[in-house]
Amino acid sequence: MLRIVASASRPSSVSLLSVAHRRNLSSTSARQADITLTVDGKEVTVPQGSALIQACEAAGSPIPRFCYHDRLAIAGNCRMCLVEVARSPKPVASCAAPAMPGAVVFTNTPLVHEAREGVMEFLLSNHPLDCPICDQGGECDLQDQSIRYGSDRTRFHEIAGKRAVSNKDLGPIVKTSMNRCIQCTRCVRFANEVAGVEDLGTTGRGNDLQIGMYVEKMMDSELSGNVIDLCPVGALTSKPYAMQARPWELKTTESVDVLDALGSNIRVDSRGVQVMRVQPRTNDNVNEEWISDKTRYAYDGLRFQRLTTPLIKGPDNRFVTASWPDALAAIAAGLNQTGAKGNEIKAIAGHLADTETLVVLKDLINRLGSDNLASDLEGKYGNAPPVHGIDVRSNYSFNSTIAGVESADAILLVGTNPRHEAAVLNSRIRKSWLHTDLVVGMVGTRADTTYGFEHLGEDAKALEKFLSGKVKGEFAERWAQAKRPLIMVGSSMAEHADGEAVFGMLARYVAATGERIVREDWNGFNVLQRVASRPALYETGFVPSRAATSTTPKFIFLLNADEVDPASIPADAFVVYQGHHGDRGAALADVCLPGCAYTEKSSTWVNTEGRSQLGRAAVPPPGAAREDWKIVRALSEVLGVDLPYEDLVGVRDRMWAISPSLVRWDGLEGTSLEVAKAGLGSLMSNFYQTDVVSRASVTMAQCTRAFVTREKTSLEGLGKEPLQAHA
Amino acid sequence: MSFSKAFSPALREIRILCSQTGAASAGTRQFITSKYPAIKQHNPDLPVLIREASGTPARVFARFEMGVEKHVELDNLSAKDVESKVVTLLGS
Ligand code: SF4
Ligand code: FES
Repeated sequence: MLRIVASASRPSSVSLLSVAHRRNLSSTSARQADITLTVDGKEVTVPQGSALIQACEAAGSPIPRFCYHDRLAIAGNCRMCLVEVARSPKPVASCAAPAMPGAVVFTNTPLVHEAREGVMEFLLSNHPLDCPICDQGGECDLQDQSIRYGSDRTRFHEIAGKRAVSNKDLGPIVKTSMNRCIQCTRCVRFANEVAGVEDLGTTGRGNDLQIGMYVEKMMDSELSGNVIDLCPVGALTSKPYAMQARPWELKTTESVDVLDALGSNIRVDSRGVQVMRVQPRTNDNVNEEWISDKTRYAYDGLRFQRLTTPLIKGPDNRFVTASWPDALAAIAAGLNQTGAKGNEIKAIAGHLADTETLVVLKDLINRLGSDNLASDLEGKYGNAPPVHGIDVRSNYSFNSTIAGVESADAILLVGTNPRHEAAVLNSRIRKSWLHTDLVVGMVGTRADTTYGFEHLGEDAKALEKFLSGKVKGEFAERWAQAKRPLIMVGSSMAEHADGEAVFGMLARYVAATGERIVREDWNGFNVLQRVASRPALYETGFVPSRAATSTTPKFIFLLNADEVDPASIPADAFVVYQGHHGDRGAALADVCLPGCAYTEKSSTWVNTEGRSQLGRAAVPPPGAAREDWKIVRALSEVLGVDLPYEDLVGVRDRMWAISPSLVRWDGLEGTSLEVAKAGLGSLMSNFYQTDVVSRASVTMAQCTRAFVTREKTSLEGLGKEPLQAHA
Repeated sequence: MSFSKAFSPALREIRILCSQTGAASAGTRQFITSKYPAIKQHNPDLPVLIREASGTPARVFARFEMGVEKHVELDNLSAKDVESKVVTLLGS
């Protein structure tokens, strides 16, 4: 079944699963047998249902195109892809024609050339001659193809002049220059199919066709930047990058994004020491070809508010620049002076900490005798071991894999809004929702997703009600029959008072359903992380021990930790901040050490699936900033702690000893069924407090203390401190 | 030392590395399935990291106070041998 974009408008405020029982020609059919045809005298075999253009590509004959895009529906309106097919009276648009068995296709005949030249002449007749001031120059499909098919003189003698179209205001990201538009409608199809912005469309017809939002309105989407890449001409260009650089001046570096936990593959374009722009890189397993606007446009933040030299806070509470040896000596002196021992030495890792540094810092802190390895989870949750535990990878990872989302037939969102936490993943859900009969249910704050969903309630009670089968409705019905049900728990559940209850509830539900949700070929229990460093934190065991939770720290090392609650830092503690921006964390520090941002270092990042990927340095770090793991390594020397590695290879060997998957870049290591089950088992084990009601119960709290954590409780305690038991 | 009581507090972390499917790790996987719940029951706060990667040699690491780490190789051992190796490692 297929929901046609126009009729399956997303019900954002009403809970309904609008389903249009209609089919459309472009629906992806199941893969069928292969067929063979001849292209330019070469035999090729392609799956049945492929477009002719794909067959030509496979035969190694490139076809010029404007409107065709392999991830969007077929429009067939630019006519640039014409080819000659034997026994066909006219040239055929290869993107819109299916590949037929036995067809004989020519892509390089005089007829084809003449046809394409004709199309090009029409396109150029109304195209402004502003290439020298157009941002697309150098990467413009029209420019490139006109070199081959364009004519060198014009036959255009219209008295009224060229077609003129007013520019549209699509918001702070997309700059429009609509005179240049060739009406390929890629942007319209992207907005409607992928981004879910159904009010970008076309008005008028023929020569008056215009692209726009129908009314004056911004394009309100977190994926809007992708239309800039899709636009084959310079009609949609990037506002922040406008007139900044030409593509041939840029050095490109393949890297990984760290602004959410998806690990989108990106290409960082830099000129000299500056990052000029960030573009997506295709990776079908992760981000396909899209990136979110945050990934694309946060880079200008890399130029401002940077820490460029070590800083030491003087007696008057002002920072004084210092040399590296002085700063490291000041830290050693600070550690001595506070007399911090054992767990009083605390490290807090923030959102943008890379894996290498986490490993080195953990080794350092452990060797100083401490297990106080906290993170900046919301509230106090970072100071305690996370509720989902870290023993088994599948307890905190996206086990179905990002691509696997498309094979799910029912999705239950628990405490997450994927549109904000992982925008590109959200577009996969929308894609699947459009093309299959996927149903989505949600427990949590109602949000504007880009697909229809049934809202089951806001809190843990609603979840409990749903899981116990007391909810009636279409979603519940379909969920019960789903072959590949998928539960997606937001990582914020680990920062919520009901987190433990929710994880316990779900684990028991998964176990009770036997083979339905977790089995050999399908693991439908997923935690969607939203912060780049967290999967690596958990993978390397960077979590505090229970004993450390209650220790008051005297020495605190903030590694990129900018989200810490200042109130949680004792006034007399000695604080070190290592990171790249002078933000909240640096303000709290006694000594600041300047590190590298993600575009300046080659480091490993683990995404929410547990996939480790290598980011690469595109530009050098500013000023005296150094690579992060080296800073920690240098500090260990000053503190007299011996770490058994001296170079990056050594650190990576150490990572291999911690978890081999960390250094298997780009690969994905799953969790075996037995281990995944053991992991779920440990979530359920806290039997006494796994639902909201009993968690609020003082008696149950005492039971947990007595039976689970094996703490001694006196009988008196039961009656005397009822309020503190669950404060 | 056995798995039916709490380990010494000097033990801070256990890390078990093995392959999800490899035959050489079969004993280790069996050890995990049979002993992990007991270990967790008696040491609820001890991190027992199970890190799988295809084809990786089975090993167990134990981290004690002050970051001292020791490990033993478990490749090609039966579940029983794994158990005794782990016991000696943790006791050391
Ligand atoms: S704005 Fe660009 S992408 Fe959109 S229809 Fe025009 S040429 Fe195509
Ligand atoms: S690419 Fe085939 S008609 Fe546009």
